[in-house]
Amino acid sequence: MRLVAAELVDSREILPGQWLQSFHAPALASGSRAGQFVHVRAGDWSGLILRRPFSFNTVDAATGIITIHFRTVGRGTDWFTRLRAGDTIDMLGPLGRPFEVDSRSRHLLLVAGGLGIAGVRMLADEAVRDGRQVVLLFGAANARDVYPSSLLPDEVEYVVATDDGSLGHHGFVTELVPAYEAWADQAFACGPGPMLRALATLAAGRRGRLGVARLGRKRGAGKVDPPGSPHARRKAFLQVSMEQNMGCAVGACLGCVVMSTGGTPQRVCREGPVFASEEIAWEAGW
Amino acid sequence: MKAKRRVVTSADRTTARSKRTPTVRRQKSAIVSGSPAATRAAPVTPPGSRRAGDGPGPGLGADASAVDLTVDLAPAHGGLRLANPILVASGTFGYGIEYGDVVDVARLGAICCKGTTLKPRIGNVPPRVTETPGGMLNSIGLQNPGVDAVVEKYAPLWQAWRTPVLVNVAGESIADYVEVVRRLDGVPGIAGIELNISCPNVGKGGIQFAIDADAAGAVTAAVRRATDLPLLVKLSPNVADVRPIARAIADAGADALTAVNTLSGIAVAVDRRRPLLGNVFGGVSGPAIKPIALRVVYEVCQVVDIPVVGIGGITSLDDVLDYLAVGAVAVQVGTAVFADPTLPARLVDELALAAAHAGHSSYRSFIGTALPRKPAAGSAKGVEYRP
Ligand SMILES: Cc1cc2nc3c(=O)[nH]c(=O)nc-3n(C[C@H](O)[C@H](O)[C@H](O)COP(=O)(O)OP(=O)(O)OC[C@H]3O[C@@H](n4cnc5c(N)ncnc54)[C@H](O)[C@@H]3O)c2cc1C
Ligand SMILES: Cc1cc2nc3c(=O)[nH]c(=O)nc-3n(C[C@H](O)[C@H](O)[C@H](O)COP(=O)(O)O)c2cc1C
Ligand code: FES
Repeated sequence: MRLVAAELVDSREILPGQWLQSFHAPALASGSRAGQFVHVRAGDWSGLILRRPFSFNTVDAATGIITIHFRTVGRGTDWFTRLRAGDTIDMLGPLGRPFEVDSRSRHLLLVAGGLGIAGVRMLADEAVRDGRQVVLLFGAANARDVYPSSLLPDEVEYVVATDDGSLGHHGFVTELVPAYEAWADQAFACGPGPMLRALATLAAGRRGRLGVARLGRKRGAGKVDPPGSPHARRKAFLQVSMEQNMGCAVGACLGCVVMSTGGTPQRVCREGPVFASEEIAWEAGW
Repeated sequence: MKAKRRVVTSADRTTARSKRTPTVRRQKSAIVSGSPAATRAAPVTPPGSRRAGDGPGPGLGADASAVDLTVDLAPAHGGLRLANPILVASGTFGYGIEYGDVVDVARLGAICCKGTTLKPRIGNVPPRVTETPGGMLNSIGLQNPGVDAVVEKYAPLWQAWRTPVLVNVAGESIADYVEVVRRLDGVPGIAGIELNISCPNVGKGGIQFAIDADAAGAVTAAVRRATDLPLLVKLSPNVADVRPIARAIADAGADALTAVNTLSGIAVAVDRRRPLLGNVFGGVSGPAIKPIALRVVYEVCQVVDIPVVGIGGITSLDDVLDYLAVGAVAVQVGTAVFADPTLPARLVDELALAAAHAGHSSYRSFIGTALPRKPAAGSAKGVEYRP
C-alpha cells in the first residue's frame, strides 16, 4: 500500500455515462493483482471529503499505466470526469485482497453485471497470460450498456445477456451460468448484490448437481482453512467481489463491513473485496 | 477555501497554501510516491504575504526544530507528556497499525484507538458511512473485539512505540466503564484513557452519559477511582449547554477534556424510501462541524482549568491554530485522515514552523489568544447568543 501521484493520460466516455481513464502510476502498475482496488482522492477544492474506491480495470507494468472504468453516479464520479490529461491525482493502493486462482484451474468463468465488468476485467488478462481459458458472461439492462468486445483480449469468449433482449440472451446473466458450470473449474463474479446472491445460490447447489469431487481434495484433504485466507478462497468454486461504502479503505474505520457466515463482520477493504461466496451471509444476519 | 490567513510560513508555501491550489495540475511532472503535497504545483505567493526567509521579520533566523512542541495532558496527575499536540482521533485510525508504511506513527503526538468495550461488539448493520456536505456520517456501532483482545493483541505492539496510545473506552453502565478501565490499568503500552461518554446509559433509561452533568460526573468519578492512568473525557456536542457537563467532569477528577465527538445526524437513501444508514442515525464529522466544535471548545476553556483537546473538522494548520486560539492545548485529526493520511504528521511540522516564524519558542504562545481577556461572568450570555 502506497500513496501515489497518478497522472491522467487518457480519459474517454466509452459508453453513455461510463468512463475509462488511464493513469501513469508505475508504483501501482506493478505488483497489483486482479480484484484489488485504489482509493482515489478528489482535489481539495472539489468539496469532497472522502476518497472514492475503484477496481483496477487493467494494469500494464511495462508502460506503468493503470486504468479504471467507472459510471458517473454522483458528485465524486462526476468530478473525476472533469480531469484532463496531465492532471495528477492521489491514489492510495493497491488495497484489498485479490482473486485467487487455483494453479490447476484451466477454465475460468467470469460473470459481470454492468459496472461489475471493472471488477473482473483484469482477471481476464491475468488468466489469458497464464494460458487459461476464459468465458466472460456479461449482463446489462440493454444493448446501449454492453461493454465493447474490442476492449477485451481476443482469447476471451464473450457472452452477453440483456434484460430487454436488445442484444444476446434475453434475461439475466445468471441464467447463462448453468450452461457453463460443468465446464468451469472456478468462477469469479462482480456486480449488483442480487446478482451475486443468485450466483452464490447456484454455486452452493453445483456440487450436488454435478457430483464432482471437491477441488483441492488431494492437497490437505480434511484440513480446514481459516475463513478469509487465500487458501479458503482458492478452493472455493465462486469468488465474489463485494462493494460497500468506505471511509479509510485500509481497515481502520470499520465502515465497510459485510456479515460473514461465521457471524463476524468482514471489512470489504481489508478481508475483501474478494470473498469466497460461502464466506458471505447473504441474508444479512445482524 | 479559506480567505483568512494569520500566520504565513514556509510550510504554508509548500503545503497549506496548496489547500487553495488544486491537487490537480495542468502541468506535467515526475510521478513520485509519498506525500501528495510534495507533488503539487508550486503555489503562487499572494501579494502581501511574507515568505519564510524573505526580509527581516520576527521569524528571521527562527529554527523550527528548536520550537518546543511538547504538551502535558495530565499535569495534575502523573503526567501524560506528548512530543507534540497533534493527535489522531478515535475511530479514524484503528489501532495505529492499519495505515502501515503510509503513516509514520512515531511522528504523531498520540493515538486514540477505536472505542473499546467490555465484551466484543459486532457493531451496526451497514451501510455505516457516507459522505455529507463538507463532512461524513458514520454509525459504526462501536464494533470492537473487546478490552481483553485489545490488551492481548495491540498493547504489546504499542509498548514498543514511543508514541503514546490512549484507549478510547465505551460502555453502557458505570460498572462497564469501570471494569474496562480496570483491565487496562497497569498494562504496559497503554498510556491513558479517553472516556467516550456519548453512549446510552442503560441504567438511566438509555440517556447518554454525555448529555447529563450528573451522569457524566458520576462515570468520571468512578473511573477516576479505578485507575491512576491519565484520564481524558470526551464531550458530546449534542447538548444545549456543555459548560455544566464540562465542569462536572473536571470536578470529578478528569485530567483533561477532549471535544468534540460527532454530531447526531441522518442521511436518506438514494431511492428516498428509507434512511441511508443501516442504523438510521449516525454521527457527523469533518469540516462541516468545525464552527460548532470550535464554539464548544471556546465555551469549555472558559469554565475549566484542566487541558482541553480540540477535535472537529481539522484539515489544515489554520484549523489547528483556530483551536489553539480558543484555548485548546492540543488537537485531534479524524475524518481528514481518510483523505490525507499524511496530514497529521505534516501539521506537526507546519505548527513548529508557524511558531518559529512568529518568534515563539513554544507553540504554547498560540494558546488562548482569542479567548475573552476577562472570563465571561457566569451569566446567561451563553444562552443569549444562541439563535
Ligand atoms: C472495492 C470497490 C471497488 C469499486 N470499483 C468500482 C469500479 O471499478 N467502477 C465503478 O464505477 N464503481 C466502482 N465502485 C463503486 C464506486 O466506488 C462508487 O460508484 C463511487 O464511490 C460513487 O461515488 P459518487 O461520489 O459518484 O457517488 P455518491 O452516491 O454521490 O457518493 C456518496 C458516498 O457514497 C459512496 N458510494 C456510493 N455508491 C457506492 C458504491 N457502489 N460502492 C461504494 N461506495 C459507494 C461514495 O464513495 C461516497 O462516499 C467500487 C466500490 C468498491 C467498494
Ligand atoms: C468512522 C468514525 C468512527 C469513530 N469512532 C469513534 C469512537 O469509537 N469513539 C469516539 O470517541 N469517537 C469516535 N469518532 C469520532 C471522532 O473521534 C471525532 O471526535 C469526530 O470524528 C470529529 O473529528 P473530525 O471532524 O476531525 O473527524 C469516530 C469518527 C468517525 C468518522
Ligand atoms: S473502509 Fe475503513 S475499514 Fe474498510
